[in-house]
Amino acid sequence: MSNSRFFYVTYIRTTPEKLWQALTAPEFTRQYWAGTWQDSEWKPGSSWKLMIPDGRVGDSGEVVEIEPGKRLVLTWRNEFMPELRAEAASRMTCELEPMGDTVKLTITHESETPDSKLIDSVSNGWPHLLASLKSLLETGSPLEETRHWPEGM
Amino acid sequence: MTEPELTSESTVYVLYIASTPEQVWNAITSSAFTTQYFFGRGVESDWNEGSAWNLRKADGTIDVWGLVRKADPPRTLVVTWNVRGMEGQQQAPPPECVVTYQVEEAGDGVVRLTMTEAHPTPIPVEWLEGGRRGWPMILSGLKSLLETGKPLPLNTPSSPQSQKRSFHVE
Repeated sequence: MSNSRFFYVTYIRTTPEKLWQALTAPEFTRQYWAGTWQDSEWKPGSSWKLMIPDGRVGDSGEVVEIEPGKRLVLTWRNEFMPELRAEAASRMTCELEPMGDTVKLTITHESETPDSKLIDSVSNGWPHLLASLKSLLETGSPLEETRHWPEGM
Repeated sequence: MTEPELTSESTVYVLYIASTPEQVWNAITSSAFTTQYFFGRGVESDWNEGSAWNLRKADGTIDVWGLVRKADPPRTLVVTWNVRGMEGQQQAPPPECVVTYQVEEAGDGVVRLTMTEAHPTPIPVEWLEGGRRGWPMILSGLKSLLETGKPLPLNTPSSPQSQKRSFHVE
């Protein structure tokens, strides 16, 4: 059982295909996910890396389950903050569910580490970048603060 | 009869909106907005501290009501929150909860809205879960409405008598 858990649901006026592309394709993630992109072959068992714009690896893990347009499960370990890196790998589950002209997007990010600092950290990050993703898909513009990697981080 | 499992856990939902604190405040406190994203319900109050407030359905009935505990436009709104029991269900309505909206500027043209549903008196777990299903729909709709001028075409969750109805308003 998980000891730390972040859970978030948002509804976006889009299609599962467009949302999937926005979640995985570098040209999209760079716009709303602090300039980052994900390096993965997107197959079960593939390695997964969240790449910081300056070339560092931000987070890393493995694709546990993947069903394009529907579901993605990753193991997720932080790589660039020593305090977080020391924790056991967390697990991120992303689910897409079409509801008429909208898609319900559910993110669950959990860790077996009690009071996980990684889950604390992503709990602040996810609502901001998911809001920016929703803005990007619905209006064409992401939210300003999520467009670039924070200076000095 | 088995007693329902009770909880005093809060629900917190944070979202970021490309808007101004004043516009977000209006969207929370004016009926012209809430009818478009709050499952068709219009909000009514003079928003003075101590005043009554309520949500009114399109059919004229009121199913959520309470008192304004704190109103500090456009930053903070705290209301007590009572709901009518669901039609056709044996279960009594849950005890009063307290809902807080906190509106903060979060950088260039962006507002952070934090909704907290607190339970000074423990409520049955299934009511907590009902709220946790509803708030993301309501607040995602609020964000879309403010950013695009269009509400989201979402149906009301869980409550059986309203599932037939679409609250899609163009």
